Amino acid sequence: MQQAGGGSETEVTWEDQQNINKFGRLNNRYHELEDEIRIAKNFEDASNELILTDEEVVRFQIGEVFAHVPKDEVEMRIEQMTETTTKHLEKLKDEKDAVVAQMADLKKVLYAKFKDSINLEED
Amino acid sequence: MATSSSPPQSDTEVVAERRGIPAASFVKDVQAYLDQLGLDVNSTLAFQQERLQQYKIVEMKLLAQQRDLQAKIPDIEKCLDVVATLQAKKGTDEALLTDFEVSEGIYSRARIENADSVCLWLGANVMLEYSCEEATSLLQKNLENAKASLEVLVADLQFLRDQVTITQVTIARVYNWDVHQRRVRQASSSQD
Repeated sequence: MQQAGGGSETEVTWEDQQNINKFGRLNNRYHELEDEIRIAKNFEDASNELILTDEEVVRFQIGEVFAHVPKDEVEMRIEQMTETTTKHLEKLKDEKDAVVAQMADLKKVLYAKFKDSINLEED
Repeated sequence: MATSSSPPQSDTEVVAERRGIPAASFVKDVQAYLDQLGLDVNSTLAFQQERLQQYKIVEMKLLAQQRDLQAKIPDIEKCLDVVATLQAKKGTDEALLTDFEVSEGIYSRARIENADSVCLWLGANVMLEYSCEEATSLLQKNLENAKASLEVLVADLQFLRDQVTITQVTIARVYNWDVHQRRVRQASSSQD
């Protein structure tokens, strides 16, 4: 976010400053959420692969070691982990939508007041 | 870091500083601000730019700390998972077979039978043996501390970023004000 200026005398009130600050925070949070969503999506793909194996005992990674775990237990664990990740992913997506909506609102308010004197786009 | 020479000019709800980070004072009126500082435009701009640099340095430091904590938390969760698995296996009579890394790319098999205790690495070349329950509660406590620290850190970063934004806006306003003043002077001098 950059502040362009043409030598205008538009007053910046404390409320304006707080709006600008809030927009900055939301923008940061938006990028963090994008990264987290990308990571969570990867995990979903990985767990889908596993269902295709047909060995009896699977080496399942717990912490730093690979424990020999019967396939049924592994399937159960994977199911639990997938469920947790999917819920987490849902929550992240909802938060991202909320952030985008708030940013759109703030853009309207700030552009209305400052018009060309402010730039709120990604560079 | 240099402390602020001018007090914050805005409402009382604003903090003057947070954990060693001074707040950027919000400027209501550029002329009044310049008069109060007693500096000309260029010196003021230089002062604000320097402040901005200092904020950036602190931001780098906090971001590094945040990355460390964000790496530590999944580690602790993995440890908790392992201890829980060991505890679960304790009930049954079967041993736990695991493949662990001896060296990069080389794995070996271990048979763990009825684990009553685990050893936890505490850092500083120290490893202590704990019962499974004690280990779980210690790891849990560490996890909560790490999460709490991360929360405080994130709040610090948000505060810092706000100060950076305020400073950037102030720089732009002082610069614009100066450009405006020059135009007004030029306009009035060309009229004479």
